[in-house]
Amino acid sequence: MASVSAIGLRRRGRTLGRRRPVVTKVALGVLGTIVLACLLASAVAPYDPTRLAPTERFLSPSGSHPFGTDELGRDLFSRVLYGGRYSLGIAFGATLVAMLAGAVWGFAAAFGRGLVDELLMRFADVTMAIPQMLFALVFVAAFGATGPGLAIIIGALLTPVTARMVRSAVLGELQADYFTAAVAYGASTPRLMLRELLPNISAPLGVQAAINAANALILEAALSFVGLGIQPPDASWGTLLQQGYQKMYQSTTYVIFPALAIFVTIWMLNLLADQLGGTDDLRGRTG
Amino acid sequence: MSAPDATPAAAPEAGAPLVVAEHLMKTFRLGHGEQLQALDDVSLTIRRGETFGLVGESGSGKSTVSRALLGLLPLDSGSVRFDGQEVTRLGRGEMRRLRRRMQMVFQDPFAALNRRQSVAQIVAAPLEAHGVGDRATRAARVAELLDLVGLGPAYRDRRPREMSGGQCQRVAIARALALDPDFVVLDESVSALDVSIQAQILNLLRDLQRRLGLTYLFISHDLAVIRYMAQTVCVMQHGRIVEQGSRDELFGDPRQEYTRGLMAAIPSADPATERHRRRSAALAEGVGA
Repeated sequence: MASVSAIGLRRRGRTLGRRRPVVTKVALGVLGTIVLACLLASAVAPYDPTRLAPTERFLSPSGSHPFGTDELGRDLFSRVLYGGRYSLGIAFGATLVAMLAGAVWGFAAAFGRGLVDELLMRFADVTMAIPQMLFALVFVAAFGATGPGLAIIIGALLTPVTARMVRSAVLGELQADYFTAAVAYGASTPRLMLRELLPNISAPLGVQAAINAANALILEAALSFVGLGIQPPDASWGTLLQQGYQKMYQSTTYVIFPALAIFVTIWMLNLLADQLGGTDDLRGRTG
Repeated sequence: MSAPDATPAAAPEAGAPLVVAEHLMKTFRLGHGEQLQALDDVSLTIRRGETFGLVGESGSGKSTVSRALLGLLPLDSGSVRFDGQEVTRLGRGEMRRLRRRMQMVFQDPFAALNRRQSVAQIVAAPLEAHGVGDRATRAARVAELLDLVGLGPAYRDRRPREMSGGQCQRVAIARALALDPDFVVLDESVSALDVSIQAQILNLLRDLQRRLGLTYLFISHDLAVIRYMAQTVCVMQHGRIVEQGSRDELFGDPRQEYTRGLMAAIPSADPATERHRRRSAALAEGVGA
């Protein structure tokens, strides 16, 4: 605190990843509101998202239609809320898949050492080297574009990165004395993994989960935007974005609201990842 | 599970060899074709009930020895026998059972404790790992152990972060004693502590040894501490044992140049002697360079 160099380093708290509880609360609050509104869409949404109203096409935002209407006169606010169910549901499912599979993969590599580690990590490198969209294209062609299907496909795409992160976090902890102590008193391997290591890498895991969720959201939006995601008349945020983009000259607001929903959600997830990454737990070790 | 006050010293033939290491060899590959000979033909015998002091500067291979004795490090060659059992040849299950009898206390008391667990969880962990007792008996044992190391029941729910280094080290000692071991490795266990706390912990360790009949391998770079604790002393340099003997022999008449150098480095409490010591040490260094 008192030393000059410390002050110099802290010139900008943020660059050091200082934790700001207010930001965490805001991010969680905004995310919570979005998630809740989408989950309760049937109660919150003012209209049925598929209700056609040919006389109310391309309306600008107003009291009765907060986000305006689309080319078929459907209420955009309702469609964004219902679309969020797809987008957030897929992002959540994909994150779950990526974290579980990535944790197993990463733990296996870190504990396997030597050849097992080498094989698992080179395989991760290979999969990461192939463009994600290309992968997604093949998978969607093979399995079709349903909600759960997309969650699994996107989850699979995010797994190698997660595995790599888990492996490096675990390898760091394997050097720690508390781990050696646990080996020395005779803890079994499952116990070492679940009781000793897992709680100690929960901070980087949390960060990775937030990053994965943000990436899953982008990937889903991108897939839907190129027509490989959720198919009309159902619509995720990505689908809405694509439809709005096509009608940009008829309605300038159409494209903005789905984009805004995606943008704000990802922003909040990234803020959250930043804040989680700035906790003492993580800084203590990574310096 | 013996009560803390059970009369111990008369345990199975005090003075009989408990840990016997023969011709331990270990080379670490450092990458870029470089190698480090961490252990070079190390042989030693630790007898029941004694404190075996292992001294040497950092990087001399002291900790490598301790990890080899505890079966935590695959050796290139050599044998380690613990109470007659060949440690290097045990299967996983047998090794895990043997681990109940050998424990370790580390240098950095904070790093050695899982910071996600409470004191009670940390101390109970070895019991759980070996399925000793049920919830209630484990809780009772934890209370007993905390009392043994001089921590009150108020510490049960503390986390490592909420305690001082000395308190953390007491928790680490309690954890090491949980399974009633015969042999405890103390790897620089007081080096990270303040001098006054060091004295407290050293006295605690001596007291515990007397009450529980423990055998210690006491590793330190600090000869003053070794002299206070150990009956047998072994000096290491560059992965080799350069001198070995009883404390009185070694401190009374060090035979090796290196040992004499280490002894000369022990600070004295008397300012005049200390000034003289520093001057001759500086001179010797000048000659050496």
